[in-house]
Amino acid sequence: MPVVTPSLVFIILAAGTVAGGLGATLGIGGGIFLVPFLALGMGMPIGAAAAISLTTVIGTSSSVSAGRSGSRLINYRLGMVLEVATAAGSLLGGITAQYMNQHALEQIFAMVTAAVGITTLSRLNKRNIVVGDTLDCGALGGRFEDGESGGVVSYRVKRVPLALCASFIAGNVSSLLGIGGGVIKVPVLNAWCGVPLRAAAATSAFMIGVTAAAGSIIYYGNGQLIPALAAAAVLGVQAGSTVGLRVGARASARSLKLLLALVLFAVSALMFYRSLQ
Amino acid sequence: MSRPGYDQAREERIEERLGTVLRLGVRASSVALGLGLLLSLTLGNGALSTGLMTVGLVMLMATPVARVAVSVFEYGAQRDWTFFMLTVIVLLELCAGIVAALLFHTRL
Repeated sequence: MPVVTPSLVFIILAAGTVAGGLGATLGIGGGIFLVPFLALGMGMPIGAAAAISLTTVIGTSSSVSAGRSGSRLINYRLGMVLEVATAAGSLLGGITAQYMNQHALEQIFAMVTAAVGITTLSRLNKRNIVVGDTLDCGALGGRFEDGESGGVVSYRVKRVPLALCASFIAGNVSSLLGIGGGVIKVPVLNAWCGVPLRAAAATSAFMIGVTAAAGSIIYYGNGQLIPALAAAAVLGVQAGSTVGLRVGARASARSLKLLLALVLFAVSALMFYRSLQ
Repeated sequence: MSRPGYDQAREERIEERLGTVLRLGVRASSVALGLGLLLSLTLGNGALSTGLMTVGLVMLMATPVARVAVSVFEYGAQRDWTFFMLTVIVLLELCAGIVAALLFHTRL
């Protein structure tokens, strides 16, 4: 466990700000950047890094979802259904993480980031198709005001069992690695389950609070969460994501995805390298 | 009895309630974490700064749990028993996490 010094607190505050800003700009959480920084840059055990990162995920989820009130982007009904699977996944992940080998965790992290990078590249030029506005949404669908289409759009949710599977895996990976898990859920919901990208991202951001809470409670109980460093990371990520959300709304989607893929491949290579040492 | 699918009025009510819970949780925990961190940096680590940061972290982790608990009440009040049961299951899973945390705690 690292020794808490004022300089370490400031470094983590700054790292949280950058990770939160980058994460919000790219439409994903900051955890995927924060965990490698803490583990590789600061030499922390991956459990301690994951514990800190999970608390920042809760903060981001809560503040982003509270800020979206009134936009109707979050599909609460779908979120509540998928939370059953994601909470079970993160519970299991949180328990197994306490027994898993450090190098195995690093290798899983490297594989997940590489897979997400490849998925991002393969969807570089794909735009989401939004259905008309008089559709019957079914039990789990939704409606929201879409600025790009200039009106109200509706959608139905397809392949719910697949969405449940993806949520379970996302919850599991979330607890093991300290990330939100949106990187798994959002592409699946968007590509195969008929959920528009913005609604998928908002619903996932809403759910990851529950996912991360289930995981972080276990890390906290196990004494792996260092309060001062978690406090610095949470406050940094909150500040960074506020700025990042504004930048992200203006930047072009294609260049953002390209940047995201490059960062993910770099992180993956570094994590894999570390697991071999 | 057929249960309606998308209902805008009910969705907006849920959105408002849950938004309030999340906003309060984030603000309260950020204030506690910020004060605790500031105290520990200026006066060094003491019982007050550690206590404030611990309270902040516990409030942060409790926010999603509180949000699920409010959903249980909301769906119960709306007599939407399918979603009442689903949110009860999520709440039980979170409680199982707390039990697991306590088990790990006593083991160390």
